[in-house]
Formats: sequence, C-alpha cells, structure tokens
Amino acid sequence: MYRIRFHARGGQGIKTASRILGTALFLSGLEVQDAPRYGAERRGAPIFAYVRADRKTINERGIILRPDLIVVSDDSLMAMAGAGVAAGADRDTVFLLFSEKPADFWQKEVPLAARSVLLKPPPEEEQRFIGAACAGAAARLLGMVDAATLAEAVTRELTPLGAATVAANLDLALRAHQAMADQSGMVREAKEHPVTASAMPHWIELAAEEVPLSAPVILAGITSGIVQTGLWRSKRPVIDPARCRRCWWICSTFCPDGAIQVDEEKRPIIDYQHCKGCMICMTQCPARAITARSEGEETEGGADR
Amino acid sequence: MSHREFTSQRELPSRHLLGTGTPMCAGCGGLQALHQVYDLMGEKSVIVNAAGCMTLLSVYPCTPFRSSWLYTAMASAPAGAQGVRDALDILKEKGAISGEEDLSVVVLTGDGSAYGMGLSATSGAMDRGLDFLYLCYDNEGYGNTGHQYSAATPHGAQTATSKGSLGYPGEKKDLFAIWAAHNPSYVATVASAYPLDLARKVEQAGRLSGPRLLLSLAPCPTGWGYDPSETVEIGKLAVSTGIWPLKEYRDGKIVHTKIPQPRLPVEEYLKRQGRFEHLFTPQRNEGVLAAIQSRVDRYWEDVRAQG
Amino acid sequence: MTRELMTGNAAAAWGARLARIDYLPAFPITPQTEIIETLSGWIGQGELACRMTTLESEHSMVTAAGAAAATGVRVFTATSSQGLLYAAEMLYTVAGWRVPLVLVNVSRGLSSPITLEPDHNDVLAMRDSGFLQLHCATCQEVLDHVLIAYRLAEHPQVRLPVLVNLDGFYLSFTREPVTVPGQDVVDRFLPAFEPGDIRFRHDRPVSQGVAVLGGPAYSYFRYQTHLANLNGVRAYETIVDEFSSLFGRDYATVEQYRCADAEIVLVMMGSFATKAREAVDRLRESGRKVGLVRPRLVRPFPVEALRQALAGKKGVAVIDQNISMGKGGILHTELASALYGQPGAPAILAGFVGGLGGRDIAAEELYAMVRVVEQAVQSGVTPEPRLLYTEEELRGVRGLQAVAGTDRRDRGGKK
Repeated sequence: MYRIRFHARGGQGIKTASRILGTALFLSGLEVQDAPRYGAERRGAPIFAYVRADRKTINERGIILRPDLIVVSDDSLMAMAGAGVAAGADRDTVFLLFSEKPADFWQKEVPLAARSVLLKPPPEEEQRFIGAACAGAAARLLGMVDAATLAEAVTRELTPLGAATVAANLDLALRAHQAMADQSGMVREAKEHPVTASAMPHWIELAAEEVPLSAPVILAGITSGIVQTGLWRSKRPVIDPARCRRCWWICSTFCPDGAIQVDEEKRPIIDYQHCKGCMICMTQCPARAITARSEGEETEGGADR
Repeated sequence: MSHREFTSQRELPSRHLLGTGTPMCAGCGGLQALHQVYDLMGEKSVIVNAAGCMTLLSVYPCTPFRSSWLYTAMASAPAGAQGVRDALDILKEKGAISGEEDLSVVVLTGDGSAYGMGLSATSGAMDRGLDFLYLCYDNEGYGNTGHQYSAATPHGAQTATSKGSLGYPGEKKDLFAIWAAHNPSYVATVASAYPLDLARKVEQAGRLSGPRLLLSLAPCPTGWGYDPSETVEIGKLAVSTGIWPLKEYRDGKIVHTKIPQPRLPVEEYLKRQGRFEHLFTPQRNEGVLAAIQSRVDRYWEDVRAQG
Repeated sequence: MTRELMTGNAAAAWGARLARIDYLPAFPITPQTEIIETLSGWIGQGELACRMTTLESEHSMVTAAGAAAATGVRVFTATSSQGLLYAAEMLYTVAGWRVPLVLVNVSRGLSSPITLEPDHNDVLAMRDSGFLQLHCATCQEVLDHVLIAYRLAEHPQVRLPVLVNLDGFYLSFTREPVTVPGQDVVDRFLPAFEPGDIRFRHDRPVSQGVAVLGGPAYSYFRYQTHLANLNGVRAYETIVDEFSSLFGRDYATVEQYRCADAEIVLVMMGSFATKAREAVDRLRESGRKVGLVRPRLVRPFPVEALRQALAGKKGVAVIDQNISMGKGGILHTELASALYGQPGAPAILAGFVGGLGGRDIAAEELYAMVRVVEQAVQSGVTPEPRLLYTEEELRGVRGLQAVAGTDRRDRGGKK
C-alpha cells in the first residue's frame, strides 16, 4: 500500500489536493481511500489530509502513521512542532516540499527528510491553487498516474467551481506533474510491519479521580495565550513608528484578536505570537503607517517572531 | 461597569481584556465585536454560550476570558443564564456572596441559535424579565459548520446550502423586532465597524437591569467571501448602504442612532462579497438587486415617515 | 416524625422539602405536575425557602438546573416521559459538568402512540446519560430516596446528578402510608449544601462545559464520569447504612426477597415488584422455592450484588416493563451481560416483556412465568422472550380497529 500525507494551512485547498490525487489513482485502476482531517482550526492553521492507494481492498483507516510520501505545501510548517509534518517518517519516506530554500538546507533542518524533492512555490496569484500542484507532483512521484488521467481527475473534482477554476488548476497540476518527470516512481511502497514486530500497548487501569481534576473545567483565566496563532500568518503587519500618529485606538480597537495593545506613550505594539495576519489594522490606519510584509521575508532584527 | 457617557473614540478602552490565541478565523467580525463589548462589560461576569463558532473560544484547557464561562447547548443558553442568575440571587439572599461579589450574566450566541433553535429560550427569558445581557454575533449563516443558510441569511446570498443562481430565496428574519415585541429593557443593533456607537449602547445596557439584548453584525470573511482585511470596510458599508440599521429600542420606542446620509446604493456592499457575486457575474441580476434595494429604501422611507 | 397517607408525588415533594432545596426549575407534565404544584404551594405559604422558576421547556429546565447547580445551590427538578426525552440532550450535558442535582422522573410510556400511563422506556432511554438512577417501589422509598439521592449526588467520589424514578399512576397518584421524618433528623443525615469549589466567582474564573479536542482527552473525561458513576455503588451502601441507623429503614442496592434458598427468582424494577413479592408469598405457600430480586440502583448497575443474589439459582424470569425496539427487554440484556460466564450463573435466564403503557401484570401471570421457568429448568432449554399479552386483549384491540376502519381489506375508510 502507498500512504501519502498532505500538510498545509487551512484555506490552501489541501482537501482538494487529496481528492484530486485520490481520484487520479482510482482512475488509474487502484483502490483508494482519501480524507481530510478536521479540527477546530481555521484558515491559516496547520491541517492535513491523506490518501491511501493499493492494488487490493484497503482495510486500514484513520491517520497515516507511517507515510511513504509527505507533501508539504508551505515550508513554514516544517519548523512548526504542532504541525507534525515529519511524524512517522523514516529514511525511505519521500518529502515533497514547496520551498525557495535548497534541499541541503532542509536535510540539515529535518534530518529525516533524507529523500526530499523540492518545487518552487507558485507565484502569489496562483497560491490558492497550490493544492493542484501538490496533487500533480505527488501523482508523478508515485509513478502510477499519467498526465491525461491527472487532467481527468482535476476536471472531475473541480468542475462545480467553474471552467476558469478548472483551467487554472489543470495548468498548475500538469506543470507540477511534468516537473517531477525525473523523479517518477521515486516513492517506494513500505513493507508492512509484521505482527511479531509489534509491541504490547502500555495500557493502564485508569483510576477514578476527584472533581475538578476529572471534569472538563478550567479554573484559570486567559489561558488561550499558549496557542500561538501567529503561526497562521502568511503576511505580517509592520508599524512604521515614524508615520504612526499615535491616535492609539484605531488599530487596537479593530484588531479582532486583541493582538495590538498600546503602551503608556500611546504606541501600538503588535503581538506577533498571536497576530493572525488579517491585516485589518493596515487597511484602517489613517496614517498608512502599517504595511504588509511576507512572512518569508527577513525582517530587521527579526526578534519579534 | 463604569457609568459614563462616551463622547469620543478617544475615550474607548485602551486596555483589552479578551485574551489572544483563539481559534476564530483571521478577520472575524464576531470576535471583533466581542472584544469591544468585553472591554466595557468587564471581568465580573459569567458568559453562557450556545453552540456556534464561539463555542470554540473555550477549548480545554484554553479560554480567552478573565471571567467565567458555561457552555450549554445550541437551544438553551438563555435558560442557562436563568439558572446562574437565580442561583446568584439565592446566594445573595442567603448572604453566601456579597453584592460586591455578584456577577453579571451574559448570553453569547451566534445567529443560528438566536434566530432559530434558541429563540424559544430567549423569549422565555424575556417573559420572565431575566436580568441578563445577550450578545448575538450575527454572521448570517451557520458559520461553524461551513456557512449554510440560517434564518438570518439575507435574500439572495449564496451559502453552502443555497448555491443556486438565485442564492437564498428567503428574507432575513427581523430579530430586532421580535426581541422588541417582548418589551425588554433594551434592544440594540451594533456593528464593530462603529466602535463608539457600540460602546454607547453597551454602556446604556449596563445602566439598565432586566433583559438587554445586543444584535451585532459579524462580517465573516470565510462565509461571506471577502479578504479578512476588509472586515471593517464591509461593516461600514452595511451601515452606510442602510442594510444594517443602527438603532435601539427602549421604553417602547425605536431610535436610529445613525441615519446614513447620503445612503449608498446596496450594490456597494453586495459587490464586495463572494456570496453575492452571482448577482453581478456572468450577468447582472437586476431583479434581485432591485428587490434588495427597494426593501432597504422602503425601510428608510418608513423610518422617515415615523420620524 | 409522622405517618400519613400520601401519593408518590407528595412523597417526592416531601423529600425535596426536607432536603431544604434552594432552587426548583420546573415545567408541568402529567403525571409529574403534582410534585411542582405541591412544592409551589409550600413556597407560597412560606413553608419552604426556595426559588421556583417555570421555564418554557424541559430542555431549558434541565439547563437551568445544571447551571444553578454549577453556581453552587441545591437544586431539585422533576419531569416525565416526553419531557425527559425533550431534555435528553441536557441530561447528558449536565452530567458532564459533574455538578450535583436531583431529578425525579415519574415514569410514563413514550409516544407514539402517546399515552399517559406508565412504563420504563422513558427512564431507560436516559440510562447512558451519566445520571445515577434510583428506582423506587413504594411511596416511602420515594421520599427516602430523594434524601439519599442528594447524599449520593454531593458525595465527593461521585459528584453527579441523580435521577429518582417512580412509576406514574401506580405510585405517583396512589396514596399509601408514608413515614415523614422530622426535619432535625434529616438535617443530621443531609446537612446544608456545602458547594466547595462549585461556583462561579468574581475572583476565580471557572470555565465549565468546555469543548475538548482529540480522543485521549475526551476518553479521559468520559471514562472519569463512568468511574464516578460506578463509585455510586459503594457510596450508596455507606449512605444507606447511615440512613438505617438514623431512620430505621434498611435499603440495599438490590432488594432480595425470600431469595436465600430460592431456586427460581423473579427479577424486576419499580412498583410492580411489590406485586411480585405477593406472588412469591403465594408460591411459597404452595411449596415452590421462589424469590424476588429487584435492583434499586440501575445506574450504576449493581453487578456484584446481582451476581451474588442469583448465584446458584436454577432459573430466572426477568420481567421488563420496557422494550428496546429490535432487541427486547433492557433489564434482561443487562442481566445477561452481568451473569454470562460467571461461576454459578443460572442456566435459564428467561425474558418477559409486560406492563407496557400501564398494562397490568396479573398475579396469575407471575405464577405462570415461574411455571415456564421451572419447565425450562427441566428441559434445559431457555424459552424465547415472551410478551405478556392475552387473546382477550387482542380481541379488545380488534374491536378498536373495527371502529378505526383499519381492519377492512379495501382500506377505503367508512364514508
């Protein structure tokens, strides 16, 4: 069985990616299973989806623990512990990464990504179709889907969204498929783990514990700060102190997340650990003192991350 | 809650009480309204919640609140508020808590609960004269499940369950009027794009007792189809086109707190949102656009006539 | 202490009054309404210092009950049948809040068809909610078990809501002698509610009923509720010991009547068990070694006590006043899983369904069920589950069908 796991951010179309690949493999004569994994996460938060493909009926279900191919649409997820990108990877696992950084950088950064394949992320205006590129490249790495079948899968999955969307996705998917020509069939089917190699789970006798410990109650205030929603961001607002008029209230009142506080001198301070990058502050600042920077760009000092 | 009259934006709180790190979408108009209301409402409160997007504000072990929280179910948050209020009153009568230790009880729900499943419980709470504040964040659909239409969805809007070329065929229910028909202490519509108007209304509600209900427009980038950075602009357009009237009900009278002048055509609001895109492309749907405009025109004609 | 005639509903109200309840969220429904009317009367006359709020539905009623309990007051509420099911979502929900309250259910059959008469499908539909369930057979037990229920609910190892069940009509509207204990003794048994950390405070926020993400956290909290519910067996045993020493009435998780040397045992719940007690006496007079077993606790299910009570018996007749559609009697199923594979488990466990929608179970039927089990013991073959239903009853229904016009072939209806 082939096991493929897609990692992306909410809103990048990773469910579509898994469905395109699933349909493409299915049309190529394989048995297939595909599913997204939903949580409470919103646009920008790390999410994943997966595809299984085999020549016989697939009985395995749920999260893929030992992937043969890991597709990562956004390289900022690699360093994010919560995203679990490398979970279950071994030296045979292929990483398909959309990144501007070179392969040796990632091999150093993520030692398990020994077999990594890099693709340049699509230009900004095509970013929202990156799911199609993920599916196209993954299909070629598996070596079992030809271009015509991939095109058919893209069309089947996206037709309800209109002809223009189909065309844009087809283009990206086929380009990614073509770009992987030299690595076609690189993904190897992992050996199934034999029963004898499995260890006994460390089951315990769960003892009754008293309330409040044993109840889903929180006895503290504002604990949500431990969640770093700043990781959702693709763009960051940066305040130019020279242009800021210290009106103080506009950006800080309109920030939905309360991620802009003002200090005693009425200077707004952005909490980048939690700013989700909605950029409302930028659009509302009357002095136009706030600009958008791409998250990939190096910022001066860089200490605010 | 401090008892003062806001006269300028510069008097708005500069310290924000709601914690960060919540799983609401980037640019969430509902969270924007909640954070503005919470700054004024303060920490001495119990927030009683019904199923909706904001149920995920408190996911074990995280909460953005400095005050207490009780999640009930989709239908019965006002009944939960009743139980908490009654119990606090019992504890006060017994002397188990002092007046200083008393808490205000706040219901927080989306439009799915407020306009539909929870309306009976809200009606009952008003019948009983329950002393509580209700904040509804109205994002005009069942947002947390992927934005299907609700009784709050406006005419013509496409949602996950009204994808046809005409969008949602029904009309948005007039919840303000339904609430006001119960003659509670206070009802107001608010929009977080107008924080001063919102602050005055929260303050007004704070000065009164009994049922006080705030209906907040909650522009939703995810469900409405616009860039998250435009949440405030969308909110302003909702008001300046006259689609979302800012008003309050008190002592049997409705007062409009902002009369849009000049009133922009509704198209200015509609064309900015993906949910209305089908009214403009591939060709303009003049019939639906005219129907929406004339409904808004009629509303403001009536307001002027009753002036 | 006085002994007087009172209905099961009045006994439930007396239990609540003696428990010095603080809060009564209410909604009327037959055959429960008399409980809230009685309490409301006492509140009006100043005999009971309690706040009563009538909500607009049972769903809201149980929400308010749980919310008030979470705020730290002693809460009592009551419902029946459709009302219990309408509140079902909130029974599961407030159980997860791990706050103490007592809900009296007056059992009544469920719609459709709608009926006012009793059976146990309403209360058993809430079997898995997390509420503990105490099932009463007499009006005295109702009063006593409301008091016991508060001790259980507020027990630190339990901290769960408790449901006290009594049968509609056969107990709710039936007067029989009940000893009403003095308030002073009750106060010793059940002191004023000490909420401890159960409360919303201005200086210490509490987030209650929050969402969880992921199976491990969910499994932990759900299983903890199960373990707390299971703790109810030991807690009940301790509490009824104390009850006995103060009030002189003995209770156990499982009532056993003439069981010690019995070979055949009847098992049933609720008020009809007293009819079975009578039948046991008659059967004993005819020389048959018959006994009765009645679980008072249904949740937690007193597995150990039932195994012990039934160990070594030759045959058991389980009489269910409920029906799980597509399976059969619920107590029969529960008992089978408790006994299967146990040393000394009876070879014959026969299932009977009767008493649906208030249908009587006659003494003759109890004798007959014993006879059926005796024959099964002889043959070694467990009989198929049986509905207690007679030719005569069917004839009566045929008469109704004739009037309804549903017996005609053309189904055209009467013009």
